[in-house]
Amino acid sequence: MSAAALGYLAIRTGANQLARRIAQLRSPRYLVALLLGAAYLWVALVRRRPGAEAEALPAAWVELGGALVLLALAAWSWIVGVERRVLAFSPAEVTFLFPAPITRRALVHYKLVRAQLVVLFNTLLWTVVLGRTSGAVPAPLRAAAVWTVLSTLSLHRLGASFVRTSIAEHGRAGLRRRAVSVLVVALVALGLAWVVAESLVPVLGAVRTDGRGVLDALAASAEAPVPRVLLWPVRALVRPLAALTIEQWLRAMPAAVLVLLAHYVWVIRSDEAFEEAAAEASLARLRRPAPRRRSAADRPVSPPLVRLSPRGRPATAIFWKNMTAALRRRRARDAALAFALLGGVAAIGSYRGPGSVSELAAALALTWTAFVFFLGPQWVRNDLRSDLRHVDLLRAAPLRGSEIVAAEALASAATLTLLELALIGFSYLALLGNDGLGLSLADRTALLAAALVLLPPVNAAAMLLQNGAALLYPSWVRIGQTMRGVEALGQNLLATGLSTALLVVLFAAPAGIGLGLARLAAPAGRGGGAALGAAAGIAVLLAELWAITRWLGGVFERLDRSTAGLEPAAE
Amino acid sequence: MIEVEALSKLYGQLEAVQGLSFHVAAGEVVGLVGPNGAGKTTTLRSLAGIIRPTAGTIRIAGHDLARDPVPAKRALAFIPDEPHLFDYLTVEEHLGFIARLYGVAEAPARVPSLLAELELDEKRGALPSALSRGMRQKLAIACGLLHEPRALIFDEPLTGLDPLGIRRMKDTIRRRAEAGTAVVLSSHLLHLVEEVCDRVLVLRAGRLIAAGSIREIVAGDPALAGRPLEEVFVALMDRNAP
Repeated sequence: MSAAALGYLAIRTGANQLARRIAQLRSPRYLVALLLGAAYLWVALVRRRPGAEAEALPAAWVELGGALVLLALAAWSWIVGVERRVLAFSPAEVTFLFPAPITRRALVHYKLVRAQLVVLFNTLLWTVVLGRTSGAVPAPLRAAAVWTVLSTLSLHRLGASFVRTSIAEHGRAGLRRRAVSVLVVALVALGLAWVVAESLVPVLGAVRTDGRGVLDALAASAEAPVPRVLLWPVRALVRPLAALTIEQWLRAMPAAVLVLLAHYVWVIRSDEAFEEAAAEASLARLRRPAPRRRSAADRPVSPPLVRLSPRGRPATAIFWKNMTAALRRRRARDAALAFALLGGVAAIGSYRGPGSVSELAAALALTWTAFVFFLGPQWVRNDLRSDLRHVDLLRAAPLRGSEIVAAEALASAATLTLLELALIGFSYLALLGNDGLGLSLADRTALLAAALVLLPPVNAAAMLLQNGAALLYPSWVRIGQTMRGVEALGQNLLATGLSTALLVVLFAAPAGIGLGLARLAAPAGRGGGAALGAAAGIAVLLAELWAITRWLGGVFERLDRSTAGLEPAAE
Repeated sequence: MIEVEALSKLYGQLEAVQGLSFHVAAGEVVGLVGPNGAGKTTTLRSLAGIIRPTAGTIRIAGHDLARDPVPAKRALAFIPDEPHLFDYLTVEEHLGFIARLYGVAEAPARVPSLLAELELDEKRGALPSALSRGMRQKLAIACGLLHEPRALIFDEPLTGLDPLGIRRMKDTIRRRAEAGTAVVLSSHLLHLVEEVCDRVLVLRAGRLIAAGSIREIVAGDPALAGRPLEEVFVALMDRNAP
């Protein structure tokens, strides 16, 4: 009975959502965006250009690399923790379903089925993305492999959050109930720590050779008995993805499905245990009054970085508000302290020369800088993507739309720039005394200075595009919360690709003019020409940003929450 | 202080508000009443500059809201029925934010008394997540009152308040009006409207069907004489059913 009702709810909700999305395409703005997105997918990911085939990596490396990525994602769920977003019930679901005669397990199943909508969409995206590297495996089989990986990861995150929540909220009772899970995780963590310690020396030694050397060292380390056992579940999941023939896929798939089923059973049982743990803790609390734990809400709030004066440009208030949301004094102090300590240690270590841990740390920090540069605009969202929940409040404020858009975009651009500069600054320190590099200290200092000058306008452009997308397509951009988890990787990949393509268009004129001027002024001296070109490029970019901001300000002023598809503010 | 001429708002084919005209003088309290879907909230959101009317003009303190929105908005405050607060700002920081937004130079002197008046002084360092529904509503009201607006717009001002809070809210509305603020409010609570408002605008399906003080509305129709406000309202709705 309840299954039929929940099935009806899930199907009708999904169908109505789909119908609403399709109805939005009556708007030329949405239709054009969809066509552009499809064209981008076709050109960038689907169409095979003659001679554009990348050199295929050995399947073993793909499998190992994929397994390590999955392992990192799983570890992230345990270390950082994720909310039980998959099980987050809407107010309507709480109102109607919780008092209804439905078992908790049925509700969990209902939510898992609903979560499959996102998983299936991302399966489609990843199937397209991986299409160029999957040999002779047909698309449906490839899709099944992707679906298995994404569903398992989704279940893993959920199970991990059950365990974390159970322990955090119910203390020893929660720990007792989750003892098996905790024991397994502890053993895996210990095993992995041992494996990392064992393989660090050969991998570090290979860092200075080439990429293949590192991969060979990693592959050799992974073949030892302990890592083989520890990595088996993740390798089993990745193996069908790395398969190049149907036979390989058929041989690999049963183990992957087994891992998926094990996760399903774990989550369903975890939820039951979670409820039992909750009940037990509640009973224990009745028996003896436990000391009240200070909740996050009771904790004193650290002051903002800067005190806001009532005098000055009103739009600064929006910038200040968004920066305060990202960075308060305590966090800034902790971050500065950590930067000073780690940077100092890395700088001292850099004098040990090539192959030092500092060099590896610098390489990691620079890799992260690249990630943050490309993916940061999706992650850092202290701008309109959060504030459109409060669009009524912003619209009633005595500010022009363009001022609001500019303040919002600048806040997230400033946050992103700080993050990038911290990483670049750390890399600079970690390479300070290293003479064995291709670049001299003076060159590296010049690059650092260039980053200081170029990153702010470039990030402002990237964030303006993100805010523009939120204003123009509020129904497509998630307002108020970050799309997280591996299920969202596909959407984030698509959004990043599209925004990068738009940024390339935006940067074409500034780069062309800047480079042209630099060449013309080259006889005046290398440094002078470059500086002139950079200044001209930045000036053109700022002019473009000004024009876009003015236009988006008009869009903001015409935005109507009730017709734009914005959900009511979550209060 | 608030002048509305031929205001209309269309949502696709639906006419949410049709040709509405009225004015609110300084120190006057005007209530918007009507059944659900009558166009009350659309009217208030248009007055606050949140949505753009399809046709008509709105002037706040002499400024055209469409042509000259910044000075017009500086003179008004909109307090919605649901308190929309920023998750990461404390009570005091909300007021600091509003002070800068509206250029309230006297905010440092005004904030403590406002917090005390609304019984929020002990929560000045708390985030909205640590506040009850009523307290969040009080904070939204404090944000609306901080810049001493010349036009105040309330959408269902008593939602979420306890009896003491209701009493204080009524006092606040009256005091602001006595100080010369033009107040427009919408409410389903007819006794509030009767108690607080100088004039009433009765809306039905986006059209104005009656206007004036309650005494004037009743006096204009002998059939309504001596009947309680609720019955007057029902009779007006029945008579103007589409």
